[in-house]
Amino acid sequence: MNRLRFYFFHLMPYPYIPPAADIDSSWVSLSNKHYDPQRGRILYEEYIDQLVASERYGFDGAVVNEHHANFYGTMPSPNIIAAMLIQRTRHIPIGVIGNAIPLHGNPLRVAEEIAMLDVISGGRIISGFVRGIGCEYFNNGVPPGDSVARFDEAHDLIIKAWTDDGPFTWQGEHFYIPNVNPVPRPMQQPHPPIWIPGQGSLETLQFVARHRYTYMMVFAPLWFTKMAFDGLREECRRLGYEAPKSMFNACVPTYVAETDEQAHREAKAHLSWVFNTGLKIPDQLFFPPGYMSTKSFRNFVGALKAGKVKPQQQLSYDELVKDRYIIVGSPETVKNQLGEYCDEVGAGGILAVGSSYGPMPNWMVTKNMQIFSEEVMPEFRASDGKPDYLREEPVAPRTRAELAALKGRPPEAARSRVTGADQLIDHRVAHLPEVIDASMRGHDWSRDEERPASAG
Amino acid sequence: MSYIDAIDKVEVPRPPKYYTPPRFETVSGLPIAYRREGSGEAVVLLHGAGFTRMWIPLYQMLAAGCDFIAPEQPGFGETPMPKWFRNFDDLTLLYDQLFEQLGLDRIHLIGFSMGGWAAAEFASFYPRRLKSLSLITPVGLRLPDNPGVDIFQLAPAELMDRLFMDKAVMRDFLPDPDNFDEGIHLYSEFSAAARLMWAPRYNLALERRLQRLTCPTLVVGGEVDRLVPNEMSDRYAEVLPNSRLVRIPGTGHEPCLERPRELADTLLGFIAETK
Repeated sequence: MNRLRFYFFHLMPYPYIPPAADIDSSWVSLSNKHYDPQRGRILYEEYIDQLVASERYGFDGAVVNEHHANFYGTMPSPNIIAAMLIQRTRHIPIGVIGNAIPLHGNPLRVAEEIAMLDVISGGRIISGFVRGIGCEYFNNGVPPGDSVARFDEAHDLIIKAWTDDGPFTWQGEHFYIPNVNPVPRPMQQPHPPIWIPGQGSLETLQFVARHRYTYMMVFAPLWFTKMAFDGLREECRRLGYEAPKSMFNACVPTYVAETDEQAHREAKAHLSWVFNTGLKIPDQLFFPPGYMSTKSFRNFVGALKAGKVKPQQQLSYDELVKDRYIIVGSPETVKNQLGEYCDEVGAGGILAVGSSYGPMPNWMVTKNMQIFSEEVMPEFRASDGKPDYLREEPVAPRTRAELAALKGRPPEAARSRVTGADQLIDHRVAHLPEVIDASMRGHDWSRDEERPASAG
Repeated sequence: MSYIDAIDKVEVPRPPKYYTPPRFETVSGLPIAYRREGSGEAVVLLHGAGFTRMWIPLYQMLAAGCDFIAPEQPGFGETPMPKWFRNFDDLTLLYDQLFEQLGLDRIHLIGFSMGGWAAAEFASFYPRRLKSLSLITPVGLRLPDNPGVDIFQLAPAELMDRLFMDKAVMRDFLPDPDNFDEGIHLYSEFSAAARLMWAPRYNLALERRLQRLTCPTLVVGGEVDRLVPNEMSDRYAEVLPNSRLVRIPGTGHEPCLERPRELADTLLGFIAETK
């Protein structure tokens, strides 16, 4: 039987923009005057509710990501959304897939924020790292040509910051940090699981294989995903190991309704928006100079010319369905197509399942979630229908009582020198008269005589 | 370390018109392509971010009146891009060494657009190497009230449209849209430009450093430049010591291609005055 994990991957689109035909791009150049914060607030509220609900419906994870200056995905800071989700959910893993680490002045900020989220959530964070798409480079001063080198260096720095005892000095080509010593450290050891989204480039596949991370294929036709996954399996074999299925995730927007016809009726306009409007990006914004090496650019343009791939904004709905960019249909159809996806590409997880596609109304998102979780999900689960994470022991004690039973008294009680006391005071008992009163003897509370001379 | 190992090798296509094979001078392990013709005063021209590999009419006209040298910057034309090449400082040092190896002591330096910025940088570090400095529709200073368009956001057709005021001359120089290799080469040249100019699009130290210049300076602007605001050439003329500003009628950002005769006469006239 096929096992698959399903992740509720939200992009948080802002759909109140002119139709695709009337704009050059929904990224970079489309003015933010189109963003109405009052509409935005209600959208955020609905989207966050949907992500929170994904736990109740039984998804394997709730996933957010980072994009800038666009209307396709309004989460410039995904860690902020993740912070809300860990407070409103109990056990579900939260994926930040991912932080665009080359874009940040100091990657240590990402190490710190993910560690905070991981500690506070009790080790529920999946940490994705991305370069950011080409458009993202127009928003800051990082030259697109530095993208890969900065990604590699920021990654190495973050992993070392999480795994080596600090402080240490980072002497890189792009980052210099005299004292690396992030507090807190992450809960999961040695660090949160790492996912790397990719578009099938060999460099990324080799990176993933080398580090044994989880690969996440972004929107792509099935044949292309298969090619990339086969390539990754090959790279892993070259390094002497068989890649487990859990290393392979694919992003396939999925919509299920009562019948095939009804499902297409409901999904067509909204899913088309995602590709044709939300991803309407002119080439020069998608590939700023240097974002791709000349060699990769040559391969890519070659594939375009040969008609092997088509820009997403030009894909018709029928092509989206036929090439399995998306899976839409009755529960039976969706089960079959997901099964085929497993068999053909060897995926271990599917993302973008059931989330809000472009302007899709909230009720439709909820309907999709319910039918999917009740009629599709169990097909790919053990007979009890449980997501795997509920079978695993939590990384950290969830209650103070468990912590006390497990760890007893803290290894080092907080102690400090208090004015007027002869010995270090133990803060656990610092309020008891026999401990603190001696230090207060002779103190006249009406006068300020304890102020140190240097402060005067 | 061998610099050659660290070079991105690219296939370089040849433009259909005006192509001539370059000579190469190896500097710091990097084979720099250059073209050199004529005799008399040594005049070096630093090109802009495109239209490379060609011995264009302007070059022919200039070579008729001087010892004319046109090198191709790393990542442009047939000069490869080494991985260590990062910024205008690297470029300045590379040019200093190139000029040394070509036996050029004191020169008249001309820079066009991005090459104008490069020439200004070189001049600010080696003012005593220059007999004169001419900047044609240069970039590189900050215009607080008018940053201009973001060239990297322009679709190719819009870029070409903005470059030329005289669209009639455009046809001779447009890259062939059906030539696959030319498209790839353009991307690699733009990548080289982005490595130097993505951010910031100016050097704030330049205005101060240019005060070190002692040679006569000329700024040539277009009549209406729709790519780089006319204020840029105004500002250069204001900042440069001993400067003069000339605008060539009928031109946009590309006086070099649009009005080569008028531009060559202006440049050669200026050089004749200063030698």
